[in-house]
Amino acid sequence: MAIPSLALLSALVVLCLLTSPVRCLRFDLQSGQIKCISEEIKINAMTVGKYSIANPSESVPLPESHRVSIKVTSPYGESMHSAENVDSGSFAFVTKEAGDYLACFWTPEHKPAATISFEFEWKSGVTAKDWSNVAKKGQVELMEVELKKLEDVVKSIHDEMFYLRSREEEMQDMNRSTNTRMAWFGFLSLILCLSVAGLQIWHLKTFFERKKLL
Amino acid sequence: MAMRSARFQGLVLSLLILSSGFADFSYGLSLTVSDTECVYEYVAYDGDAVSGNFVVVDHDIFWGSDHPGIDFTVTSPGGNTVLSMTGKSGDKFEFKAPRAGMYKFCFHNKYGAPETISFYIHVGHIPNEHNLAKDEHLDPINVKIAQLREALESVTSEQKYLKAREARHRHTNESTRRRVTFYTLTEYLALVAASCLQVIYIRRLFSKNVGYNRV
Repeated sequence: MAIPSLALLSALVVLCLLTSPVRCLRFDLQSGQIKCISEEIKINAMTVGKYSIANPSESVPLPESHRVSIKVTSPYGESMHSAENVDSGSFAFVTKEAGDYLACFWTPEHKPAATISFEFEWKSGVTAKDWSNVAKKGQVELMEVELKKLEDVVKSIHDEMFYLRSREEEMQDMNRSTNTRMAWFGFLSLILCLSVAGLQIWHLKTFFERKKLL
Repeated sequence: MAMRSARFQGLVLSLLILSSGFADFSYGLSLTVSDTECVYEYVAYDGDAVSGNFVVVDHDIFWGSDHPGIDFTVTSPGGNTVLSMTGKSGDKFEFKAPRAGMYKFCFHNKYGAPETISFYIHVGHIPNEHNLAKDEHLDPINVKIAQLREALESVTSEQKYLKAREARHRHTNESTRRRVTFYTLTEYLALVAASCLQVIYIRRLFSKNVGYNRV
């Protein structure tokens, strides 16, 4: 009695997993337009990206001309990944510099102006970690894997707090230096004003004395 | 014996269901908006909690004042507006998705200057008691793990918001510093130039070609 219901349940689960929801952000791109998406990534972080052309309606198949080109650049302008006129692809790399990484998408011109939807998924840091390897490595129970994932998330939250704290300290230092600089400028402007007035008076006095008017 | 193995299988299955329901849709990306930019996100189940935030990180504004703000709208798959904010320079949002489908998050820039927007959207799903009732093997601990995961996601989301706001604050501070330095140095130059012009003018009034006895 338990076995047939279990078989049904397992079939349902398999169905759920097969039709698992699309885990991507979708963007629209007009033909001939460039769309750039940037993400700030820390140094030595694993980053993974996947992109594909999306079909907004299930019934109509996509025309062949719906293709997208992509270029991923590092903050210093180095190209980490590029592809021309593909309908799907992926990239993965470990960052060597911290900063804004830019992923730019564009499409070639279409004669009747078309809008292409593409799906893009970009994960970096702890979310980019591939858990399927860890799960396969032996009889590791699924719950343990989930808890390990949570532990990783907590560790990344902790690191992020340290990063935020150090950035705030930097900003406080900059504000303090701006404050000191403004004080010096105010003092300097007073001295400059007085000295310019004094120079004017001295110069005109000697000028008139030379002209024998005074 | 058969009961124990059935229970274990049920536990594994429930974990499989749960891991498929661990909606992990969360992104922290930046987009440059000149007029209108829309992002689509798929919500898998009815009643999922969609949360997120966005912060406008100003471009280099040297002469003008702060940007008036960005309009943000969320449209459901049926075409109704779920959420609408106008003239914001950054905010958090949260709503319960009334139905599953493709939701549209749009940023509209009323003014010409392009702005960079840092946004983060998270769709969270917790298997609720309805699912518990359907399958007696579903352990309540898995629901608790899902709730814990959602709570941690909210902390991560808040951190991303703080980071984006700190970046915007730093941008404003750096721009203020540059502007004040520039204006002060220009003021000094203007003062020195004005006084030099004064002296030159007075000297000219007394120069021989003009005829100083006229003065």
